[in-house]
Amino acid sequence: MDTPEKLLELAHRVVARCQELGADEVTAMVSRGSHVTVQRRAGQVEQATEATTRGLVVAVLNDDRYSSNSTSDLRPAALDAFLQRCVSSTEFLEADEYRRLPDAELCGRGVSAQQLDQDDPAWGERTAEARALQAEQIETLLAGRRDDVISASSYVADGRSETVQVLSNGFEGVDAGAWFAAGGDMTLDEGDRRPESGAWYGARYLSDLPSPEAIAEEVEKRVTERLGSQAAPSGSYPMVLANRAAGRILGVLAGPMSGSALHDHRSCLEGKLGERIGSDLFTLVDDPTIPRGLGSRPWDGDALRAAPRTLVEGGILKQYNINVYYGRKLGMAPTSGGRSNWVVPPGDRPTAELLADLPKAILVTGFLGGNSNGSTGDFSFGIRGLLLEHGEVAGSLSEMNVTGSIGDIFQRLVAVGDDPWKWSSVRSPTLIFDDVQFSGT
Amino acid sequence: MTSTPPATAWFTQFGVDDDLIRKALSAATSRGADDADLFFEHTEATSVGLSDGAVNSAHTTIDLGVGVRVVVGDQVGYAYTEDLSLESVLRAAHTASAIAHNSGKGQPVFVPSRLVVPDFYPVDRSWSDVELSVRVPMIRDWEKRAFEQDPRVRKVRVNMGDADKHVLLARADGTVAADYRPMTRASVSVTAVDGDTKESGSYNVASRGDLSYYDEARQQRLVSMSVERALRALNAGSPPAGEMPVVLAAGSSGILLHEAIGHGMEADFNRKGTSIYADKLNKRIAPAEVTIVDDATLPAARGSLNVDDEGSPTEKTVLVRDGVLESYLHDRISARHYGVDSTGSGRRESFRHPVLPRMRATYMENGPHAPEEIIASVDKGLYCEVFANGAVQIGAGDFSFYVRHGRLIENGKLTEPVKDVNLIGFGPKVLEAIEMVGNDLEIDEGGWTCGKDGQGVPVSQGMPTVKVGSLSVGGGR
Repeated sequence: MDTPEKLLELAHRVVARCQELGADEVTAMVSRGSHVTVQRRAGQVEQATEATTRGLVVAVLNDDRYSSNSTSDLRPAALDAFLQRCVSSTEFLEADEYRRLPDAELCGRGVSAQQLDQDDPAWGERTAEARALQAEQIETLLAGRRDDVISASSYVADGRSETVQVLSNGFEGVDAGAWFAAGGDMTLDEGDRRPESGAWYGARYLSDLPSPEAIAEEVEKRVTERLGSQAAPSGSYPMVLANRAAGRILGVLAGPMSGSALHDHRSCLEGKLGERIGSDLFTLVDDPTIPRGLGSRPWDGDALRAAPRTLVEGGILKQYNINVYYGRKLGMAPTSGGRSNWVVPPGDRPTAELLADLPKAILVTGFLGGNSNGSTGDFSFGIRGLLLEHGEVAGSLSEMNVTGSIGDIFQRLVAVGDDPWKWSSVRSPTLIFDDVQFSGT
Repeated sequence: MTSTPPATAWFTQFGVDDDLIRKALSAATSRGADDADLFFEHTEATSVGLSDGAVNSAHTTIDLGVGVRVVVGDQVGYAYTEDLSLESVLRAAHTASAIAHNSGKGQPVFVPSRLVVPDFYPVDRSWSDVELSVRVPMIRDWEKRAFEQDPRVRKVRVNMGDADKHVLLARADGTVAADYRPMTRASVSVTAVDGDTKESGSYNVASRGDLSYYDEARQQRLVSMSVERALRALNAGSPPAGEMPVVLAAGSSGILLHEAIGHGMEADFNRKGTSIYADKLNKRIAPAEVTIVDDATLPAARGSLNVDDEGSPTEKTVLVRDGVLESYLHDRISARHYGVDSTGSGRRESFRHPVLPRMRATYMENGPHAPEEIIASVDKGLYCEVFANGAVQIGAGDFSFYVRHGRLIENGKLTEPVKDVNLIGFGPKVLEAIEMVGNDLEIDEGGWTCGKDGQGVPVSQGMPTVKVGSLSVGGGR
């Protein structure tokens, strides 16, 4: 079962067998992957993990009765018993016609494999020695940077996966991609506290990862920023949301934008299409077609063709994330149910200049816990960060929360930096919000 | 007691026998090792869902595989495969052995010796023997009850999921341990609408029990609590912001222990010196009223374990006794490092993951105070009742937890309902700030999952009513 052709053959066989057992519609997805992780600490490899893995996901519709199923036991006899169970498990269910597969015309590859460029040939040439060397370089650089280091670790990981999908409506697709990651973390001795921080980078191409020197420098910068941290007085401050931390605040939109939340009346964005939910500066695009993007994909979970979609434009809500099932239930055209890359287009002014304009602000560099309520839009998160005065660091912050609501926070977006973070599927520059509620002492 | 065959026998259907185990362990230890094990796992999980008035989705998952671990000192080599053929298991064993360069002390020839394990979760019928046709009328009935409870209930979702997990652990020293681990979880979520206001509420229960777990009282609670929570949220506001006294209600408030101290007790962090509690063994870290345990032996609890995932017997571990830090949570690696016995805390999410020291059911033992007395002692503060999630930074000591439902305390009385607020604090400071411990310990029946290094494991938590002198509340006013 080594080649994509063999995976495709298996997926077709699964679809045919389920139909033979009585299913009217079938989706089969077969995947296989390999990955390796090396973690170093205290001058030696602390953990090395390696595996080749496989799996099958099957959804069937039998007289409009739906079941979805997965297995990792692909021995022929076990697989056949599993498929029989997939079909027979629908027997006690009630019909749900909305589960039917999408029209075949909507399905397909929305972007070529060449354009997505996700399959770095360097993956196949990667050796155990090369991984070990990279991990050792990062660890050595980290351990040697300061004399108050309690513990410093480095991580190097990579993998590649192949996925084939076959729908009984005629769709078939083969997708493959590699990924690489590297990072480190550090814990410092500060008496009662042991401040810790780390930096972790992911990329589709090995050559896109930062150098060991750059990683070590960033880890040290982040952990040093945690020294002497304390809470500032409660009150309203401008919030500077660091590019790498933006995903947490943008992410509060994901739940309320989903078809399932809209259908259950659990969305604070229900009825808000075409209305203003943010300032003129707020634009958010879901783009699955970004070359080498970590969230890029040729089709979505329903096999709908991938295409960039503007969710919010100049503060106006333009689209929800509606999959095929909830599109039918809500009487709306499906957009796409899943999130791919979320992009906030960068502004024109350098971030440093924007910060210099602020007499006093809280730079949020990370979060600690917290949650949001999609029905009301209210959120409350623990934060880590820095107090800034005219862009200069004036203190390290901990034991503070930020509180707000979806309906209000994006209206307060007053500036957008020019520094998009590219190591994640959320690609946002630094964002500046006015008058945000923080609680501390 | 159980109709399920013992788990060693369970894996013979997948071609696993002493010969395969012996060959695989021999390959795993071929370059030397201080410890090595094979962790076979087979899980069969089913869930059924109701939405829009119909029981209209079913999900089945079958997961099968083996993880091979080779330990040299505190170095770990790990590999796994979903293919249990001899060839594939040997390949994984050779891969895992690469961590050892003819180091480690070497291992004797494998002579199996079966570990007898207790049964903290006996069942009459395994979940695979319960037909879907039994579950369907139950969840339909829960939906009906939810709509009948209040006219403001607009949408109801119900899910019932269960799993039969069989594990088999074989160690190079000959230890063989098997366990059958059932799990069930049910949830009811409702949307309530009152004029222009919409809110949601949910409640879930989870256990290693069988079908008899769902007695009438539990089924009724599952429904009525979810409706009550949605209705309460319709009229709840945001609390004031800043530091204030906080009273934690009995039950799921155990999340404070889990975050503020539990993770810091996991010995891997202490071995590396990265825990705030690394040099606090046998030192006072909380007032004398405080005793905190991590217990694998609670009957049918979600976090209970008959044997841990590296074949060590489990126990009730006292972490803090009368305010003094007594023990960490150990797996075999940290136990060897500290020269103590494992506390049976070595756990993994599945065969795809190496073992880490983890919590099981973490709770605080009863103290002397009546809950009413504790509330009456607060002039102005926050009463926290329902929690959604928590997080911690092990070294920095900062932790936080999210309160979904609570009430203000004014002049010693519970007043208006509040919701959706995050609380944050510094673990050691919060433990010292515990002022009163109630006499009403409750183990929460909800389905908690703890995440660490990308691995999720089922846990339980509990607490009597507790007063903390000061915590930072992320309120909106």
